[in-house]
Amino acid sequence: MTFAIATRGLKKVYKGSVEALAGVDLDVKAGDIFALLGPNGAGKTTLMRILTTQFKPTSGEAHIFGLDVVREGAEVRKVIGYVPQETSVWSDINGYENLLIYAKIYGLPSRSRKEVIYDMLESMGLRAVAGQLVKNYSGGMIRKLEIACAMLIRPKILFLDEPTLGLDPAARIAVWEKLTSFKEEFGTTVFFSTHYMDEANAYSDEVAIINVGRMVTSGTAEELKHSLRGELIKFSLSDRRVDEHTLGRIRGLERVNSVVVTDSTLNVTVEDAETALPGVMDVLRSGEISVVRIATTKPTLDDVFLRYAGTMRGSGAGARTTGRVEGEAGGNRRE
Amino acid sequence: MNDSLRVVLAMMELELRRLRNDRTEVYTRAVQPVLWLVVFGTVFSEIHAIPTNGVPYIDFITPGVMLQSVLFVAVLYGLTLVWERDTGILKKLLVAPASRYATVIGRSMSSGVRAIIQVLIVIPVALLLGVRFIPNPAYFVAALAILFVISGGFAALSIIVASLLKTRERFMGIGQALILPLFFASNALYPIALMPHALQLVAAFNPLTYAVDAVRGLMITGNLALLPLDVAVIAFFDILMFAVASLSFRKIIE
Ligand SMILES: Nc1ncnc2c1ncn2[C@@H]1O[C@H](COP(=O)(O)OP(=O)(O)OP(=O)(O)O)[C@@H](O)[C@H]1O
Ligand SMILES: [Mg+2]
Repeated sequence: MTFAIATRGLKKVYKGSVEALAGVDLDVKAGDIFALLGPNGAGKTTLMRILTTQFKPTSGEAHIFGLDVVREGAEVRKVIGYVPQETSVWSDINGYENLLIYAKIYGLPSRSRKEVIYDMLESMGLRAVAGQLVKNYSGGMIRKLEIACAMLIRPKILFLDEPTLGLDPAARIAVWEKLTSFKEEFGTTVFFSTHYMDEANAYSDEVAIINVGRMVTSGTAEELKHSLRGELIKFSLSDRRVDEHTLGRIRGLERVNSVVVTDSTLNVTVEDAETALPGVMDVLRSGEISVVRIATTKPTLDDVFLRYAGTMRGSGAGARTTGRVEGEAGGNRRE
Repeated sequence: MNDSLRVVLAMMELELRRLRNDRTEVYTRAVQPVLWLVVFGTVFSEIHAIPTNGVPYIDFITPGVMLQSVLFVAVLYGLTLVWERDTGILKKLLVAPASRYATVIGRSMSSGVRAIIQVLIVIPVALLLGVRFIPNPAYFVAALAILFVISGGFAALSIIVASLLKTRERFMGIGQALILPLFFASNALYPIALMPHALQLVAAFNPLTYAVDAVRGLMITGNLALLPLDVAVIAFFDILMFAVASLSFRKIIE
C-alpha cells in the first residue's frame, strides 16, 4: 500500500542553524484526514512546506503517493493542493477571478472551466459574493476561497496550514463540513495543522503531535486520549475517614493507577472509568464508606497535547489539568 | 511549452484584471512622464541647446520618456513580488504545476502589460504637444513590442533584486538607485555623442540605450540602421535576466 505521505528521517536546518525538523518519520494513509498538532515553532509549517516541494529537506526523504518530493517535485505538484498559513489570494480582483486565474495556471480545459469554478463557488457558499473584490471579504470567506482554489483541480491530497485560524465557530464548522465532504466524495486526503484541539478531535482520522522538530506521538484521537491512562473518578464522601486498609484494597485493584484522598473526596485515576468503577464501588461498600456523589472526567485532546508537547511539564499543576494526570499517571504511559 | 505559454498568459490576464479594478496607480504614474514632456521637452525645444539632427527636441525625448516610464513600472514591479511574498501568494504559486521559468516570465511580462498602458497614456499628451509620430501602424506596433519586451527584462532584474533583498524598505532604496543611473546613462535625453567618454562606455552597456534607439527609429526618426543590433541586444538582455531570475526566484520564499 502506498501512503499518501511517507517521510523518513526528515531534517531541516535553516540558515542561521535553526533546526526546525530533527528527523521526522511520518506515515499518512490515503483518504485520511490527518491532524498535525504542535506548539508555535514546532516545525509544522516547515514540514508542510517541504512536503509541498517549496524547498528541500537538509536530509532524509519524503514521498507523496510514492513520488519523491525532491526528485519528482513536478509530478508531486500535479497531485497536491495547498493553502498556506498566510492569506494567499489576490485582494484586488474578485473571487471568481481568483479562481479563474488559478484554473488557467493549472490548465483546466476551457470548455468546462466556468462550470467547475461556479460549482466550486457554490459548494463553498461563495456564489453570492463571487463578483465582489476579495478585499471586501471576511476572514472566513477568504479561507473558503483559498480552499476552493486548492480544490479546483481535485487534488489527491490537500495540505492546509491552520485552515481555520481566526474563524468564528460557525465558519469553522462550515469549512470542516466541506473538507469532510471532499474526503467522502473524492477520497481526498487532508493533511492539516491546527492549534484547535477540538477540531483535531472531531474531524481527524489520525493525529500526530510534533514538538521541537520531532514527532512525539501519533494515533487516533481516542488512542491518544486513552494512552494517558488518566480517567479520573471523583467520589464525594459523607464521612472523612477512609481507612488505610480500604485505600490499600482500592490501590490493589486491577486498572487503578493511583488513589488520592483529600478532605472528603477520594480521587481515583483509572484507565477506563466505566470498567473500573464497579470494582471500586464494591470495595467502598464493603468498607462501609458511603458515597454522596460520583463524577468522572476523561482526558481531552488538550490534556494529550499538554502532556506530549510539554508546555505544562515540570511547571506544576496547571489550571487545565487540575493536577489530574500529572505525576501519577505520567510514569506508566503506554509504549 | 504550450503549458508555459498558458501560465504566462494567465499572469498577464491577472495584471489586466487588477488594473481594471484599480486605475489610480496608472494615473499617478503618468504624472512624471507627462511633466518631463511638458516642462523639459518644451523648454529645451525652445532653446535648441541640444543638437538632435533636425528633430525637435520634444520629439527626440518622447521615446526616452516612454522608456523612463516603462523602466519605472518594471523596476518597481519587484515590490509586487515582495508583497506577494509577505502574503502566501508566492508560496501557492510555487506549489502550482508551472515551471519556474514560466512563472518568472509570466510575472515579468505582467509588468509589460502595465508598461504598455502607461505608454498609451503618454502618447496623446505627446500628440497634443505637437510631437509628430511616423504614421506607420506597423512601425508603431513594432515600437510597442520593443517597449513590452524590454519591460519584461527590467522586471526580471527587479525580481532578482527582490529575491535578494526580500523586504519592502530595502527594495525601495535599491529600486530608486537603479532607475536613475539607467535613465541618465542612456541616450534617452541626449545623443550619446554629447556624453563624456566614460559615460558613453556605460551607455553602451546599458540595455535602455538600445531600446531607446529602436523606439526612436520606429516612432520618430525612421532611422532603422541599428534596429537589428538593438533587437539582438534586447533579446540577449531579456534571456539573461529571465534565466538568472528563474534561478533566484525560489530563494525569495525561503
Ligand atoms: N524561513 C525561515 N528561516 C529561518 N528559520 C525559520 C524559517 N521558518 C521557520 N523558521 C524557524 O523554524 C522553526 C519552526 O518553524 P515553523 O514555522 O515550521 O513552526 P510552526 O510549527 O509552523 O509554528 P506556528 O504554530 O507558530 O505556525 C522555528 O524555530 C522558526 O523560527
Ligand atoms: Mg506554522
